[in-house]
Amino acid sequence: MIRVINVNKSFDDNKVLDNVSVSFEPGKTNLIIGRSGSGKTVLLKAIVGLHDIDSGEIWYENVLFNKLGFEEMKEIRKEMGMLFQGSALFDSLTVEQNVRFPLDMFTKKSMEEKTDRVNFCLNRVNIINANRLFPSELSGGMKKSVAIARAISLNPKYLFCDEPNSGLDPLTAILIDELIKELTEEYSMTTIVNTHDMNSVMEIGEKIVFINEGVLCWEGNKDEILKSDCAILNDFVFANALAKQLRASGR
Amino acid sequence: MLKFLAKLGLYFTLLKKVFSRPEKPSVYYKQTLHEIVSLGLNSIGIVMVVSFFMGAVITLQTAYNTENPIYPTYLIGLGTRDSILLEFSSTIVALILAGKVGSNIASEIGTMRVTEQIDALEIMGVNSASYLILPKMIATLIFNPFLTIISINVGILGGWLAGTMAGVITSEDYIYGIQYAFIPYYITYSLIKTVFFAFIITSVSAFHGYYVDGGSLEVGRASTKAVVHSSILILLFNVILTQLLLS
Repeated sequence: MIRVINVNKSFDDNKVLDNVSVSFEPGKTNLIIGRSGSGKTVLLKAIVGLHDIDSGEIWYENVLFNKLGFEEMKEIRKEMGMLFQGSALFDSLTVEQNVRFPLDMFTKKSMEEKTDRVNFCLNRVNIINANRLFPSELSGGMKKSVAIARAISLNPKYLFCDEPNSGLDPLTAILIDELIKELTEEYSMTTIVNTHDMNSVMEIGEKIVFINEGVLCWEGNKDEILKSDCAILNDFVFANALAKQLRASGR
Repeated sequence: MLKFLAKLGLYFTLLKKVFSRPEKPSVYYKQTLHEIVSLGLNSIGIVMVVSFFMGAVITLQTAYNTENPIYPTYLIGLGTRDSILLEFSSTIVALILAGKVGSNIASEIGTMRVTEQIDALEIMGVNSASYLILPKMIATLIFNPFLTIISINVGILGGWLAGTMAGVITSEDYIYGIQYAFIPYYITYSLIKTVFFAFIITSVSAFHGYYVDGGSLEVGRASTKAVVHSSILILLFNVILTQLLLS
C-alpha cells in the first residue's frame, strides 16, 4: 500500500501538485490519468522520490518515504521496479545485461542463477532469442517489454509505469497493458500506471485517479468512470470522436 | 556571483555522492577496467600523433631561434626535452584530452540523463553519481600518467627525427642535449600536474553531463561547457601548481 497525503509541489511560481491525497492498493493496477501537463508525471516521480515535494507525506506501508535519508531511501528503492516512458534501457548493454543489471548490483547469485532468472523474466514478457541484441536493435514494443523484464527481475513489491503505451501501436499497447496487469496479479505488486490512453483505462483500470491542473478531481474504477458526473473528467474521457459517438448513441 | 556559488555547491555535493561507499565493488572494478579502455587506451593514438608533431615543431623552432655560433647545438635537444617535460606533455596533452575525453564524458552522462537512464539507476537503488563517475575518475587518474609518459617519449622521438632529417642537429648532439643537466624531478612535476588535470577533466565534465536539463540541444551545450570549463581550470591550476611545485 502506498499512501500520498496532502502533497504539494511547485516549480518556481508554478504549482504543479495541489494538496493531493490518494492511496494505491496492492495487487491492483492503479492508474493516474489526466491531460498532458496536468501533473501526473510529477506525482509519479514524487512518489518514487525523483522529485522532492514541498510539503505532505508519502508512505510505503508504514514507512514515511519522503523523510528518509539517501541510504534508507535506497533500501526501499530496491523493492521498486519502474518502466519509463522512453524505456530507459542502458544503451551500452545488451538485452541480457540490462535485465541482469539489478541482479549484478544487489544479489550474490552465481552467473548461472542470474542467467536463469534473466531468461525467465524475458520469457515472461515474451522476448525470445534477443539476449544479445542492443536496445538500438529493438522495436518500441520490445524495448518496453525488456524494460518490464528488468523491472521485475528482483521481484519488486512496487511497479511504476510512466506512459507505458506512448509511441506504440494499439495492438502492442494492449499486449503491454495485459502484461502489466498479469504481473501485478501474479506478484501481488502495488502497481501505479501513469497514462492518458483511454484504452488502458478501460482494459486495466482497477483503480483510477484523475488529476487536472495538479488537483485530484476524481477517484473510481473503470466501471464508474463512464457514469461519472464530473464534467472535466467527462471532457477527458469522451474527447475522441468514437467515444463521443458512443456516448451520443447512449451505448 | 550567487549563481556561481550555487553551481560550486552543486559540484561539491556531486563529488560527495561520487565518493560515497560503492554498492558492489566488483561491479565498479569491471566498470573501471572498461573505462580504462574507453578513456585511456583509446586516447593513445591521438596523444602519440599530437606529441610526435609537437616534438618535431619544438625542435625546429628551437633550432631556428638559436641559430648562433655561440650556442652549442645540443641546446636544441635540451630545449625540446624541457619544453616537453615541463609544459607540453602534461598541460597541452591535458587540454587535448579535455576536448576528447571531456566531451565524451559530458555527452555520455548527459544523454543518460535526458533519456532517463540515470533515473532508472536511482529507482533501482543504485548511487548513479558514484556508479557512473567514480570508475571514469579512477580510470583517468590511473591511466593519464601513462599517457604523459608516452607523450614525453614520443615527443622527444619526434624532435629527434625532425631535427636530424631537417639537418638542424646531429643525432649525437640531440641525444647529448636531452641527457644534459637532466633534473628527474621534472618528471615528477609533470606527473603530479597530470593527476590534477585528470581529476579536473573527469569531475568537471561529469558535473556538466550529470545536471543536464532538457534534450539533445542541452547535451551538446553541456559538452561544450565541459570542454571550455575544464580547459580554463587546467590553465588556472597549471599556474598554481607550477608556483607550488617549482618555486
